[in-house]
Amino acid sequence: MALKNPFGRRKRAASVARDRLFALSTARVTLEVELGLRTAGVAAVVFKPMSAGEFVRAASDLEQLLDAVSADAGSRIERKTDSFGFEWLIVRDDDLEDLVNAANLVASELANAGFDKQLLAAPFRFSGGKNPVYFVYGFKTSSFWPFVPSGDGQERDNAEELELKAKLEKELPIEPDLTKWLALYNAPI
Amino acid sequence: MKRKAYGRDRGLTLRMFATTAMLGLLYVTFAVVLFSVLNVGLVPLILIIFGIAFFQYFTSDKLALRAAGAKVIERADAPQLFDTVERLAAMAELPMPRVAIVDTDVPNAFATGRNPKHAVVAVTTGLMRRLDQGEIEGVIAHELTHVKNRDVRTMTFASFFAMLAALITRFAFYGSLFGGGRDRDSNGPPIWLILLVVSWLTYIISWVLIRTISRYREYAADRGAAVITGAPEYLMSALQKISSQIALIPQRDLREVSGMNAFFIIPASVKEKTSELFMDHPPLEKRLAALAEIAREMGRPVA
Repeated sequence: MALKNPFGRRKRAASVARDRLFALSTARVTLEVELGLRTAGVAAVVFKPMSAGEFVRAASDLEQLLDAVSADAGSRIERKTDSFGFEWLIVRDDDLEDLVNAANLVASELANAGFDKQLLAAPFRFSGGKNPVYFVYGFKTSSFWPFVPSGDGQERDNAEELELKAKLEKELPIEPDLTKWLALYNAPI
Repeated sequence: MKRKAYGRDRGLTLRMFATTAMLGLLYVTFAVVLFSVLNVGLVPLILIIFGIAFFQYFTSDKLALRAAGAKVIERADAPQLFDTVERLAAMAELPMPRVAIVDTDVPNAFATGRNPKHAVVAVTTGLMRRLDQGEIEGVIAHELTHVKNRDVRTMTFASFFAMLAALITRFAFYGSLFGGGRDRDSNGPPIWLILLVVSWLTYIISWVLIRTISRYREYAADRGAAVITGAPEYLMSALQKISSQIALIPQRDLREVSGMNAFFIIPASVKEKTSELFMDHPPLEKRLAALAEIAREMGRPVA
């Protein structure tokens, strides 16, 4: 990607977080071959919008940038607001690496503009099991955790989630504190 | 109450008695040292002791409920839970206790109150969500056995001298600061030092003994639950569920929690501290083994 290093002062912190996020594209083979999980072609960056002018400007700059990048990569961008008041920048692309790149771009740009505190999570959807599987990247913890919603309501398949942890721990920075594996029910992706 | 066929464990009763006796002996020694060294008037000492004891005894239920953030509920709030408690209380030959709910994802339960009439049984929302009916019955029967065995009273009594020792340690410390503890003669160590050491020792030893008694009470409550429900296997699976990793995974939504701002506030060290509290429970494997033994005695299936 052309925009690999547009960061000045935040370069160090951003690059550490980026390495951890990129671990998901490295884990792709294990996910596919051993677990039978393929990307569902969709991911998102979830953040809390602010009404401050600076934030609105940063967000619209970001959207333009994303449009340009996504045109290159052949992915589609969509923006949604959920019932909790969080914005979802949704990226659709069949290539997991493009999804990870796009998520990283959004996160870096917002962080670069000084809004890293507004970033919540980046869920990546996978399919292949009985239920959809999400790998949620938490920006506050800089780690992933699995989320497997089961049924329509507020249920999740804890056994499956723990199994995913056991199988991916070596390749993916999985959040060790299980009490932080919070859910994302009714995700718009 | 008629003695039930499986309701006694002679070895356990004996060990419980022995520990309590040791604790008593320790306290007598402590009191003797206190009198002979400190020359505290008997009356103020007794007043202090009883003051603290009464306060602790009579406010135990309110204190525990407030500390846990538990809300006492009516039947209409949770009819099924209420019916379950009522039925099990009847089987344990106890008056209907108050029922309280703690709104947290962590599956847990506790009982408090100085006697069966003032008892409260509290369960968490996480417990109700994660456990099925049989398992919930097992847990509630366990808590009701604590009520029936009057464990709050036992533990208040047991921890009371430890508290006093801690208090006196503090007094002795201030005494040393203000130069209050005048030496009896120039050769011996100062009184406050003796006092400090004795209080420390009392506190440490009683802490260990209290933990020991507490673990015995847990075994007794497990046994009681097995007798009341007649199905120890449910309590076994409940214990496994409560202590498994799965119990740690929250059911809450990330966005909801981040809105409440609770997620990142609780530091990990606090969580570690609360888990230390559980050390007054025996390890899971031992409890499961003891329950499996009871299940075999009762001729129940053991997984």
